[in-house]
Amino acid sequence: MADNGEEKLLAVARHIAKTLGQNDTMADDILQIFSNFDGRFSREKLSENMVDGNNPRGCAVLDRALHSLDRQISQYVALDHPIWAHSADSSAFLDAIDELIRTIRDWSPMAAEKSVGACLARADDLMQQAMFRVEDEFRSLMDRGADSFELGRNNHESTGNLSFDSDDDNEENEEGLLHNGAALDHQIPVAQPVTDYDIVIDALPSGTINDLHEIAKRMVAAGFGKECSHVYSTCRREFLEESISRLGLQKLSIDEVQKMPWQELEDEIERWIKAANVSLRILFPSERRLCDRIFFGFSSAADLSFMEVCRGSTIQLLNFADAIAIGSRSPERLFKVLDVFETMRDLMPEFDSVFSDQYCLVLRNEAITIWKRLGEAIRGIFMELENLIRRDPAKAAVPGGGLHPITRYVMNYLRAACRSRQTLEQVFDESNVVVPSLDDRRVSSSSMSVQMAWIMELLESNLEMKSRIYRDSALCSIFMMNNGRYIVQKVKDSELESLLGDDWIRKHNAKVRQYCTNYQRSSWNKILGTLKLDNSSLASNAIAKSMKEKIKSFNSQFDDVCKTQSSWVVFDEQLREEMRISVSRLLLPAYRNFIGRLQCIPEIGRNVDRLIRYGPEDIEARINELFEGGNGSSGGRK
Amino acid sequence: MPSTDYQGSSSPLTNLGRSFLPLRRDQVHSMESPIGGSPSNEAELESFQRQVADRFHDLASVPSDELLSLPWVRKLIDAFLCCQEEFRVILFNNRTPVKKPPMDRLIADYNERAVKALDVCNAIRDGIEQIRQWQKLIEIVLCALGGDNNSYQRSLGEGQFRRARKALVDLAIAMLDEKDSGQALAHRNRSFGRHNNSSSHSKDHHHRSLGHFRSLSWSVSRSWSAARQLQAIGNNLAVPRGNEVLATNGLAMPVYTMGSVLLFVMWALVAAIPCQDRGLQVHFNFPRQFPWAAPIISLHERILEESKKRDRKNACGLLREIYQMEKCSRLLGELADSVQFPLNEEKEKEVKQRVNELKQVSDAMKEDLEPLEKQVREVFHRIVRNRTEGLDSL
Repeated sequence: MADNGEEKLLAVARHIAKTLGQNDTMADDILQIFSNFDGRFSREKLSENMVDGNNPRGCAVLDRALHSLDRQISQYVALDHPIWAHSADSSAFLDAIDELIRTIRDWSPMAAEKSVGACLARADDLMQQAMFRVEDEFRSLMDRGADSFELGRNNHESTGNLSFDSDDDNEENEEGLLHNGAALDHQIPVAQPVTDYDIVIDALPSGTINDLHEIAKRMVAAGFGKECSHVYSTCRREFLEESISRLGLQKLSIDEVQKMPWQELEDEIERWIKAANVSLRILFPSERRLCDRIFFGFSSAADLSFMEVCRGSTIQLLNFADAIAIGSRSPERLFKVLDVFETMRDLMPEFDSVFSDQYCLVLRNEAITIWKRLGEAIRGIFMELENLIRRDPAKAAVPGGGLHPITRYVMNYLRAACRSRQTLEQVFDESNVVVPSLDDRRVSSSSMSVQMAWIMELLESNLEMKSRIYRDSALCSIFMMNNGRYIVQKVKDSELESLLGDDWIRKHNAKVRQYCTNYQRSSWNKILGTLKLDNSSLASNAIAKSMKEKIKSFNSQFDDVCKTQSSWVVFDEQLREEMRISVSRLLLPAYRNFIGRLQCIPEIGRNVDRLIRYGPEDIEARINELFEGGNGSSGGRK
Repeated sequence: MPSTDYQGSSSPLTNLGRSFLPLRRDQVHSMESPIGGSPSNEAELESFQRQVADRFHDLASVPSDELLSLPWVRKLIDAFLCCQEEFRVILFNNRTPVKKPPMDRLIADYNERAVKALDVCNAIRDGIEQIRQWQKLIEIVLCALGGDNNSYQRSLGEGQFRRARKALVDLAIAMLDEKDSGQALAHRNRSFGRHNNSSSHSKDHHHRSLGHFRSLSWSVSRSWSAARQLQAIGNNLAVPRGNEVLATNGLAMPVYTMGSVLLFVMWALVAAIPCQDRGLQVHFNFPRQFPWAAPIISLHERILEESKKRDRKNACGLLREIYQMEKCSRLLGELADSVQFPLNEEKEKEVKQRVNELKQVSDAMKEDLEPLEKQVREVFHRIVRNRTEGLDSL
């Protein structure tokens, strides 16, 4: 080899002289300089074969070297078992390749010399054979790596990371984060769903990773980096796609998502959330790490390969989120869309960190776009809710002036929505900046409180419209009071309280009281009027007659009112009690007073017991039967 | 036929845009349309028809050797984006009548079509990625035979040819249309003599490699079909009836026009770019009195003709650059199969020339592929945005 080295040196010196020297004299001068520099460059040695330029002796060295490399490499290329099965074989093979790479690099400057050129063609040929073999070895190491990992996982460094809480009821998690699946012939290791995302997996044992890195290094050095990256990406892409499909995620087009029944879609969303989390928090970072280790020192190849590996799966994940964002705006969907939005939002740091390189930036930007679009979708759902409230027709009156289903629906909906208050605030705040509005109203409804207040306003005016369906104005008031009371109650025991504020609650409590007053006025004022005593100094005969008329009128009116209003509804027990008390308080003193007078009128005499149908206790008892929603058809359906 | 409801006798091309508008104006007064018409509105609608027509006349004026080229496809998408934008302005300017029936239904119909087009956009994006994968294989060929990785003058040896041929075989298989990939795959594999080094290892390799060529999967399920999606986009796309035109004060016309433009553009994209289950059997019957109908129908016919050419019948996409890619790589593959070593000067020159051609095709592709992808994405975003705006204004 020493001989070989010296020959190479001489050949290089001759080559330099020949290239730089524009004529023979100059070349001669250069050779002279070399010979003065080092004893190895004696004029005798250097001038040898200078004239014919064919350099048989140098070439003979190259030829000999290639011959020896050919013998070594061919022997491995022809092996019918994996070279990497034995580390002695693999390292000898790699050494031979290194030597071949070095030889080609060293002699390339002299390729113009015909005999060297011919030798280099042979070297290239040999290199190609070695590279094809090494590519196959690379591929099968990638495939087999998972198997050997399965067996030797206890020695594996990442085992320590695979810790789950002992109370984790899913034993499968502890056992098989990496799982070779039932299909043994398929040989694609697969990640199982996990609940703890704070882990990194190594799909390949670190010994294999080192082997792969050593191969990648040679392939890049020999100019076969593209092939290497291609094989790598293909294998890992299969792994990823298989993993994601094992997580239960289907490939769905937007059209398919739109047509899917909502219940099925809800399940699909659940699976998507799991899959997105596992992908962004475990699978992609693990792929990044694997890629960086195998292509260590070749960052561009690493970045490109990583993008190739993750692109398809990422697009699949993003497409689904996009389809959800584009999908129906039906209000019932809000909660699941919020889940998707929050998942995307919470994964943004992962998108940023894992897709930070130049090739993956597109994916990250896509993720941001789709995340924003989910925000738009949520605002759209609220708009749809507004439209539904505004346009909800007054079909049939709720019997007894009870709670209208829309009140119940809207209030419970908003209460549930407010559990995601922070997210919604984020969503509504954003609309201020991002969405160019075609509608002036939207600008003002940017923050969440304004949005909520606006929905309440819509609800109230819709209820007012609905109240007009009642012919009886007292019942109309009962209806408004009931619904108003329900609204205030629901506001008070939820996040809505702080969103709408104390003023709002005060104002609406006052409204409820106003409806109560309105009810009393329109229901009882007339009856109360019949009990009004005439203070005029009429003849006692006339007084008796008038009082007789009045008590008769009272009896029939009171009967009517009680009969009607016992079927009316005040769903809130406390309010019902209060209203009865207040009616009693209004009525009883006047009634007592009236019958007191009546009993004192001598003309009526014995007839008085017949005229006074109700004692004050009877009146109270009848009043206490009001608002029970009798007849079984109460409006206060729960 | 509904189309005769408002159409006069077939008038010369220049008058087509006007043919239905004056007629409508006369009838609007007598029938007291619920929506008041204004002269500016009519001018706007008319100018929309004209602009759509101008754009497609321009696209149709392409010489046959540039039809379906990447620059042309990009121009087509630009045309779509412009039409869509003008359409959006019309809807905005008429936002009150747009909410009333039957306009609300027509708009909802259009939006439904547009949403279906989103899947086509996604499929096209997958197709562009597919082309990128082919580009990678071509780069290997260029790397092997182009010799730009070292500056030294080296003659091409057997090794480089083997390397290039392997990449070329992979490329040929990757470029096969899905439909005939099964049998043809095996056939091509054999004819290229791919696995001639008969070791036990190669058997395993053979099995694996078949999977590898198809491994770049689509982002939609295997059952998704571009052909069916196109049918769905065009489903019930009918010329508005006379009473619809009257009731909408003419607004039904741009909706129909935009639906037609959408259908054609999506169809042309599917024709050009590889995607799952391509099929071009969509029927276009745009009435000739629309000023844009003639150029679109002519383009449709030309593209259909192109797809029937013998050497394009089984193409995975009619994009001109794909064709050139396929042709150049096939010629180079044939040449590579026939060469004897050592290479004589003449052969070497021929190889260099073929490699150069392939490089040019590949460079051209590389240059336009990314902007194309961006545009397709833009189409997607615009469709979504328009739909959102429409829903918001309800």
